[in-house]
Amino acid sequence: MEVDQLQRTFHHYHASLFNEGFLDEQFVQLQQLQDESNPGFVVEVVSLFFEDSERLLNDLSKALDQENVDFRKIDAHVHQLKGSSSSIGAQRVRDACIAFRNFCDERNIEACLKCLQQVRQEYLLVKTKLEALLRLEQQIVAAGGASPM
Amino acid sequence: MQISNWGQNGHSYKMPKMILLATNITVAETEKAKAAGFADTVIMKPLRASMVAACLQQVLGLGRKPQNGRDVPNKCTGLRGLLCGKKILVVDDNIVNRRVAAGALKKFGADVQCAESGQEALKWLQLPHEFDACFMDIQMPEMDGFEATRLIREMENKVNTQMNGGCMADGTTKKNEWHIPILAMTADVIHATLDKCLKCGMDGYVSKPFQEKSLYQAVAKFFESKPISNS
Repeated sequence: MEVDQLQRTFHHYHASLFNEGFLDEQFVQLQQLQDESNPGFVVEVVSLFFEDSERLLNDLSKALDQENVDFRKIDAHVHQLKGSSSSIGAQRVRDACIAFRNFCDERNIEACLKCLQQVRQEYLLVKTKLEALLRLEQQIVAAGGASPM
Repeated sequence: MQISNWGQNGHSYKMPKMILLATNITVAETEKAKAAGFADTVIMKPLRASMVAACLQQVLGLGRKPQNGRDVPNKCTGLRGLLCGKKILVVDDNIVNRRVAAGALKKFGADVQCAESGQEALKWLQLPHEFDACFMDIQMPEMDGFEATRLIREMENKVNTQMNGGCMADGTTKKNEWHIPILAMTADVIHATLDKCLKCGMDGYVSKPFQEKSLYQAVAKFFESKPISNS
């Protein structure tokens, strides 16, 4: 009973993340890579994404704070973040990175700072949502249900 | 129906599978038929396409058992046939990308090793090595995928010329001439990088993250499909 309710909540929440564009098809691909032989795959990859993104966002902050801004370095960091967000299906983060790179090309510091803010915002949003989704999964498993991932 | 088993060293002939079509048969009779070697399995008439497909998959030992009641898509069978047991090197400077790419390849039975830089890739691909293919990220700091590939080909050319291109005594050609298939992984297929990929010795590219269809098409050029035994 409780498991059914949790499963329903999970499925609704999961669907909303796609409808609102936070996640795309690639996240579904990740879910398909999770099975009995690899039960923690999604949580593992998502955790790596969080750690990696926070490192990159810090590096970007520092790089934009320099006297002489190294735009190639900034572009390299954004490229990384674009790649990793793309790999897990974090669509809005990826799109924000694409916009960011355009302004790197223009060597526009003000615009880059705004882009960084935008990317950070999208990252924090998807982080919150993914954590909630994974918590729901945990609850279902703890209540004796099969992982809905 | 003839089914040949194409092995790596030529081909051998296998007995055709027998599938009994029945309208009215008991479980006991089915088991008797199977035990007598009269039939490998039985399908009830009227035939349904999905039943025939599932049955063929079972007797021919293709695909893998569905897990969690999920259906294994047909393309999975194709990629599993190509990648199962293959040793693959994945080169990418980003840890998330490495994990996801490795996960996708392992799903199809590949044995995956990851490297985080062009330099590390060179270490793994020192000759002789056991790798069947390499997936290489293009944009990496210090040494990009193009440079790494150029250096790998240089290494191979050196050894190949030293070997005088001789054949093995038994006619097998697995390592007659060193040339590891290298596929660029790129999110940016539009950017006319294909030319550059081919110029520095890459064999093709796949989009990143992997899409099953394009992965299959890229990999099929190097690996022959093998029937897999049901285990």
